[in-house]
Amino acid sequence: MRKLAIIGGFIVVVLAVAVYRAKLGAEETQGEIAGLKAQVASIGKDISVMKAEEAYLTRPERIGPIARQKLGLEQAKPDQYTASEALSRRLGEERLTLPAPAPVDDASSTSAPLESKEVKPQQ
Amino acid sequence: MMSFDRPQEDLWGPRRARIVAGMLAVVFTVIVGRSAYVAFNGPEQAASGAHAAVAATRRADIVDRKGELLATTVPGWSLAANPSAIWDAGEVASELKTVLPKLDLIGLTTTLSDKKRQFVWVQRGLTQEEKDAVFGLGVEGLQFVEEARRVYPRGKLAGHFLGYTNIDGEGLEGSERAFDARLRAGGEPLKLTLDASVQFVLEEELERAYADFDMKGGVGVVVDTHTGAVRAVASWPAIDPNRRGDFSADIRANRALNSRFELGSIYKPLTVAAALNAGVLIAADRFDVSAPVKIGAALVKDPHPLPNAKSVTAGDILAFSSNIGAALIAQRMGVERQKDFLRSVHLLGGQSHEGPQTASPLTPEVWDATAMATVSYGHGISVSPLAFAMTYTAFGNQGNYVPPVFVEPVDAARVAKSQVMSPETAATVLGMLRETVTRGTGKNADAQGYEVAGKTGTAEKPGPDGYDPNKNITSFAAVFPASRPQFVVLVVLDEAQPRTGDQRTAAYTAASIAGKVIARAAPLLDVRPVLTASNAEAASLSVSEAKTP
Repeated sequence: MRKLAIIGGFIVVVLAVAVYRAKLGAEETQGEIAGLKAQVASIGKDISVMKAEEAYLTRPERIGPIARQKLGLEQAKPDQYTASEALSRRLGEERLTLPAPAPVDDASSTSAPLESKEVKPQQ
Repeated sequence: MMSFDRPQEDLWGPRRARIVAGMLAVVFTVIVGRSAYVAFNGPEQAASGAHAAVAATRRADIVDRKGELLATTVPGWSLAANPSAIWDAGEVASELKTVLPKLDLIGLTTTLSDKKRQFVWVQRGLTQEEKDAVFGLGVEGLQFVEEARRVYPRGKLAGHFLGYTNIDGEGLEGSERAFDARLRAGGEPLKLTLDASVQFVLEEELERAYADFDMKGGVGVVVDTHTGAVRAVASWPAIDPNRRGDFSADIRANRALNSRFELGSIYKPLTVAAALNAGVLIAADRFDVSAPVKIGAALVKDPHPLPNAKSVTAGDILAFSSNIGAALIAQRMGVERQKDFLRSVHLLGGQSHEGPQTASPLTPEVWDATAMATVSYGHGISVSPLAFAMTYTAFGNQGNYVPPVFVEPVDAARVAKSQVMSPETAATVLGMLRETVTRGTGKNADAQGYEVAGKTGTAEKPGPDGYDPNKNITSFAAVFPASRPQFVVLVVLDEAQPRTGDQRTAAYTAASIAGKVIARAAPLLDVRPVLTASNAEAASLSVSEAKTP
């Protein structure tokens, strides 16, 4: 009976220590979680502000003049479109008018650019 | 007896000890069991629900169909005070007034003088600059409270349609109000069908129109003919929801949805379609519109005589906008069939859809022959511009009317179409509308390559003393491209008076604006221009020029 009481007491002490450690660990973990959640919330707020700023800075009334003045971009006009069939036909005609290829020099075959008539893209 | 041999405690002692020991054993077992459970399973997650509740309070963003941000919630600050901690309320109020000029000095002094209170709002929704300025004052008894703030980073863009919230984040107008429950639930952004680029083009053209025309207001709508997806909807003058307090109630009203207009001759294609569909008209029928006609009590006249007025077709009636012709066609049809048709395209009300609703129409109290005649050319009936724009979807959709759709994703297979005219009727009227642009009153709307098919409308505004000949509503309703319809465009201008001295009819006002909108919006909407011979020639020339050294 006495042994049983000692063993029981020992178990109680061990479990008390275990519970204390578990509780302490849980509190620490909860603190970490709370900190991380606060960090996530803070970053989320920063992101929402930055997204709003991005949207503000990319307003068409701001970007449009910059694109025109700095990059020379303009909206496509209807006469700048063509059917893909017409494009391939035109490329075929261009190929027919290309001069015969010059004899290939072994030394320059890997580095010299091909001499061909450049077809500029439509503006 | 035994009871006399041993004391009572001795008699009951062992049994009582066993009972107590048993109870202690049970308690011990429970404690040990619970301890072991906690030790091995960890703490219970009691706080997770609270976090979820907090997270759900962030109002969802609003984006356009491509994900461009239109409305969002950012951290903001409000200013509060603790009157019990303020020594001189008048001085504090005066100092605050220097950096927050909208404050009511007397009211604030009174509030801050109430020493029994420990918390009062001073001003909510401070900007960062205002917060810094108040902080710089170093005044006693104040505190900043972090509060979510709704902002519209693109300013005026779609301001009317987006609407706004109050300081507590409750939707008051526009989409903020119509989708309030969805937005308050938080989560994924609300993706509207609007296209920010097209919306910008529409608003900019309305703004530019003001440079050309002295006008009171304007409306523009761009709608997908097949799905009803509203790609742009604008009301001019525009409002910036961030500064809604700076605009009068008249300007804050969304004219595209909440105002009603008598839109005039853009009703004539509906009259022709209804008659064709009812079998009382064929395209080759001819009418004499050379003289005014009396129908009911209305003497119907044409402000400008038509070419060959003694013998014109329905196509001519649309191309040159004959009131007489429209009234004669309506007369063939009769009141009931006219009403039935207008009801089928929801111009007599009764339509409901998800999102912001349109104003209910104003229709004739007595729909007799007189009303029939005037309604045939768009007088005596007032509807919202958006409600009217949707009627033209039928011309570009093989006779199927589609209701407006404001939220993505739009599933074309699930669109609530209703067949309001036969495909043949739709094609016939569409052809007439194209002719109206190529040879009639809509020439100024003919955006090169986009086969605009449309109709002008010029209506005198009704006033207390009848119609005012000096005040017009001018409009242009169009479908494009005519050979493969994809979009409906409607432009309505209120009292537009050209500054150049041109006539104030739709041909010179709304039609030209609509043409500019289509020319700029079509590429943004992935509408390829129709390659005509002249286009192909132009393309060929540009290549030749590129090849020329």
